[in-house]
Order: sequence, then C-alpha cells, then structure tokens
Amino acid sequence: MNNRLITFLLLTIAVPGLGQAQSMFRNDPAHTGVYKGNAPREFHRVKWRFVTGDWVVSSPVWADNTLYFGGDDGNIYAVNPNTGQQVWKYSTGGPVPTTPAVIDGTLFAGSYDGKFYALDSKTGQTKWKFATEGERRFEAKGIHGLQPKNQTIPDAYDVYLSSPVVVDKTVYFGSGDGNLYALDVSSGDLKWKFKTGNVVHASPAYADGAIYFGSWDSYFYAVDAATGKERWRFHGGEDELIHNQVGFQSSPAVANGTVYTGCRDSNVYALDAATGKEKWRFNNEMSWVNATPAVSQGKLFFATSDSSLFHIIDAANGKSVQKQQSKAYMFSSPAIAGDVALIGVVNGTLEARDINSGELLWDYQVEKSKRNEGWVLTADRKFNFPLQFYSNWREAPAAATVRQFNIGAIFSSPLVVNSVVYFGSTDGYLYAVE
Amino acid sequence: MTKHRYPTSVPRFYRINQLAGTLLITVAGLFGFAETSFGAEPFAGRWEGAVHIPANEQILVVDLSPDSNGAWTGTITMPGLSLRALPLKDIVVKGDEATFATKVVPGRGMEATFKGRLSDGSLTGNFVQGGNTAPFELKQAGPAQVEAPPRSTGLAKELEGEWQGEFQLFGYPRKVTLKLTNNSDRRAAAEFVVVGKRVNNLPVDLVTQEGSLLTVHSHETGITFEGRFRKDGNEIRGMFSQGPVEMPLILHRKS
Repeated sequence: MNNRLITFLLLTIAVPGLGQAQSMFRNDPAHTGVYKGNAPREFHRVKWRFVTGDWVVSSPVWADNTLYFGGDDGNIYAVNPNTGQQVWKYSTGGPVPTTPAVIDGTLFAGSYDGKFYALDSKTGQTKWKFATEGERRFEAKGIHGLQPKNQTIPDAYDVYLSSPVVVDKTVYFGSGDGNLYALDVSSGDLKWKFKTGNVVHASPAYADGAIYFGSWDSYFYAVDAATGKERWRFHGGEDELIHNQVGFQSSPAVANGTVYTGCRDSNVYALDAATGKEKWRFNNEMSWVNATPAVSQGKLFFATSDSSLFHIIDAANGKSVQKQQSKAYMFSSPAIAGDVALIGVVNGTLEARDINSGELLWDYQVEKSKRNEGWVLTADRKFNFPLQFYSNWREAPAAATVRQFNIGAIFSSPLVVNSVVYFGSTDGYLYAVE
Repeated sequence: MTKHRYPTSVPRFYRINQLAGTLLITVAGLFGFAETSFGAEPFAGRWEGAVHIPANEQILVVDLSPDSNGAWTGTITMPGLSLRALPLKDIVVKGDEATFATKVVPGRGMEATFKGRLSDGSLTGNFVQGGNTAPFELKQAGPAQVEAPPRSTGLAKELEGEWQGEFQLFGYPRKVTLKLTNNSDRRAAAEFVVVGKRVNNLPVDLVTQEGSLLTVHSHETGITFEGRFRKDGNEIRGMFSQGPVEMPLILHRKS
C-alpha cells in the first residue's frame, strides 16, 4: 500500500473520528451549516416526534447514531434517531436553548442556570460542571421603544444561549456574563476567559487558530484560540435611542479566510479573518439578521427577521443572487444538504428551498401552528400584529412576543442525516421528517 | 377557551337602557323631534357584546348612527386590543342585515369586516380579520356614542410658509421640509418631506395649532412633529417622533 493511499484512508477515517461531523452547532467548528448527503426535495411524512416539557429552541446534533439536544424544560436529551425513543435525559437547573457539542464521548452544553455541563454521551452521567458568572438575557432601557423608556427591560427576542465549539481539547462558549470561556475538555478547568462589554449569546466559530464571535456590546471579536488574546475587533452599529439596531445575536461562519456574520444592526458583514477589515456588507433595511449564514459553493445563505426574506448572495462580493419572500420572522439558521436549504420560520413552519433559485420546494407546518389559537397568525400564516401587539405598556409587548413564539416557532437550525430532517419547535416537540 | 365576560351584566344593563330609551323616545315624541337613533332605526345605537376568537375572546362595542343626511357613521371599541372609537367605513344597512368595516391606515388599528343580522334585539354575525373568521354577538345597550375623528385647526398667518431643519437618525442626517398652508375651508394642511437615503413625502392627515404649539401628524407612517413657535427666533423648536423614537428638530423659516 503506497503512502498516498494510506494518507487518503487515514483522512477518510479520521474526519468522522474527530467526532465533529454533525455533532455541534452548524455541523463543524467553522459553522458553515453544510451537511453531508441530500435533504428531501419533497415532503413525505413525519417519521416521529419526541415530546419534551417546554419549547425546543436548541438544534439537534448527531453523534454515534444518537440525537442530542436541549430543552427549555431544563433537560438535555439523548434520543434514538430510528425510533424517536429517549435514550437518557439529564436535568439542569434552567432552560437549555443551546445546541450541544458531542466530541469523543462527551457532550457539552450550557444552561440558563449559569452552569456549563460535560456529560458522558452514552449514559448522561456528569463528568464535570463549570459555573460561569451567571446567565442573563440582553436588556436595555426602553428596549425596542417599549415603555417606560427609562426602565430596563429584558429582550424577549434573546431566545438562544451560546452553543459550544470544541477544538483541540478545548471547549469554547459565550455567556450572558459577557465572557467567552475556554475550558479544558477533560477537567473543565478554565484555560482563559475573554471579557466583552455585554451578553454573548452568539456561538463562537473556530478557524485557523482563532475564535470568532460577536457580543451584544456591538463588537465582533477574533481572539487567539490558544491564549485568549485579542487579535482584532470590529465595531457594528449602535442604537442609543431604542437599543433595537445593535448587537450580534447571529453566530459567524468562516470560509476561505472570510468571517460572515449577521447583526442586529441589519447588516450581514464579510470580514477578513486575519485582520478584521470589512470586505463588504449587505444591508437589510432595519431588519435583523439573527440567523447564522450558511456558506456553500461560493454563496452565502441567510434569512432575515422583520422583512422575512431568504437571501442567496455571492460570498465574494456580497451581491444578491436570489431572494425569496417568506411569511414570518426567521431566526433559524439555514442548513444546506445537497441542493436543498432547510430553514425554520417563527410561524411554526419548516421550509425547504432550492439552493439555486431559493424557491420553496415544500413546507411543513406543525399542528399547533395550524390550530392558530388566538389568531396569532393570519389565514396566510403571517403574524397577526393587531391582535398581538396592541399595547406598548406593562408586560404586554413581552406577552405578545411569547404568544407569537408559542405558535410552534422553529428557532432550531435543522439537522440533516441520511435524508431525514431533525428540528425542534416551541410546541415542545423534536421532529424527524422525511 | 376564555369565558364570556358579558352574559350576566349585559342583559341587566340592556334592560335598564331599553327602559331609558323608551322614556327618551316618549319625551322626544312629545317635543316633536325624533333624531335619537336608538329605537327609531333598529341598527342605530350602541351595541355591546363579544367576538368569539378561539382562545382569545374579545369585548366588542359598536356605535352606529345615521348622520343628518342619512349616511351611516360608526366606531368600534375593543378594550382588550387597546382600540377605542376606531372609525367604521362601508356601513351598509339593508333590511335586517348590516355590514361594516374598520377604517384604518397601515400600521394603526385593525382591518376587519363585520357582517351581522338583527334578530330578537341581537345583532349576530361574523367578524373577519386577517383572513380568519369568528362569530360575534351584540345586544343593544343605549344610544349611539359615535366619536368624530379630530380635525385640523386653522393656522396663524405667521406659521404659514416653508420651514426647514435637520436631525440625525442612527448616525445619518435627515433633512426636513415642512410647508404649512391654510385651505379654503380655513383648516391647516401641510407638505412634510424627509430626505434621508430616499425622499419621503409623508402623508399628513392632521395639523393643529394650540397657541404657539404646532402638531403635525402623519398617522400612516407613525410620524409626528410637535414644536413650539418662537417669534423672536422665527423658528419652531420641537421633537420629531416616529413611533418610540424621538429626535430634537428645530425648523427655521426658509430664507
């Protein structure tokens, strides 16, 4: 056997052996959102659905023929992907709207209880826990123009926790305490932490020795993965008036020396991974980009919230290739599998779109969304704002947001394995559709 | 489903008002006028009840009244949706059926249509909003209390003319031109132009002057300018607001 053949075989075996394939948020440490195999171009059936006790905002991951995800009911779940039966569950002290990472038999995930967990992925037994300085949601005085203007109000749209990325025996994640943490995967010991000026609920991406992430302090950072030293920072938009057009909720994707990230300032930015210099920006006219862009075949795929557009743009120059109108906010990050892009919509619909035209191939609306209690949706599945956001006072706007989200919203980024699509919904279910 | 909040209170209230209505009509008859719509025209009056949206039942109050020309006017109030005296349009009364719709501008109020039939003192039918349909039922509860929408006032001569100013929004400058006039009916009108990335001719539907205080409303865009006229500086110093966002804006007379 010649050396080239041996190298090829080693690579072939080694890649899944790293335990990274489909086993962390957006599939890989660079968060490209591209999955092996093909996604279905036609909807056939719901294979199974697995019930939890609360919203499922987390995105499922796959490792060793098992699905893993977090629930807002405080549990981390392991589920058999063939039967939809529970393998184990682990109770944390708070909601788990984060996507676990599973590497070499260990599952890593954070919780709103302020702790970060390492569990045995086979049994769900605790390996170690790490206490952060405490979780919190982004908040600001009179946020989004709510009243009273001088009162600090939590952001009802801050629905995710940072999802960990694992590289070279180190697990990295952001926290509501404003830190980006680097912990030893074996012991949970702190290697370093990097302090930002506000909540970090975006998920860090890794490429070429650097960790990339955004904070709600309006800065996007690149830090050295080994030392935690800052390499560069990029300043996004500010909004001193109503704190609406500020902060990085979107997580970055890194490809070909470029970092792509959405921002609440309504831009998608392409930054030079080495220097942080802006290559281009794509403006979405006041509409947030909370979804993490997917990068495939020289194109960037992302979706917007208020304008509810699915965009395909040229990754090299930020020029629009295609855009398609959806019906409601999209926070979910698109997953690319074969020639299909899958994305969740906050109105309780999963959409499958052609990656060339962006056109809708099929969609699946969860039952709770179909019931449309309280007329949260119009008959054509758009949000029925007059019946929800009728008051700017007391807790009415937050209650309206919760009513919207309760419709069966799909914040989860879909996972595609063997042509089966897995995703969570706020109706409390994890779905497997094919 | 939420419990209906009316069944116990409405009939009692209705009975009292029916009695009051009878007395009013009787008195009116004695004095030879009958413009009191309650009782004289079966659809005229205040109607109270509920619209049965699944898991979101809403109190509904409808006021319907014919004007002096016989054309119908009306408003609806839905306290659960923070709607008070929303004007109605397209009011058609034919036989024992009535249809009407809410009159709203984009971003304000709620577009909805009602189609109801009068039977045994109840007005029942369907409420259609956002493509969804739910039943409503109303009972008469007194004379109509239709509120007329606010109208523009006249403007002092010294405010007429063209005013200009500038403010910053999200780091970008916005140039504002406000042209104020009095119409032939001696009510104020305004051309309100804001130039940022693009030119925005704002549709103004209400201009009022109270002393030195000028208010210009564009309800369709949610934009308001409210300022105080200062004779000495020949300026209008105030605030430009769009929804919750407020920015100081000083307008100077165009030289």
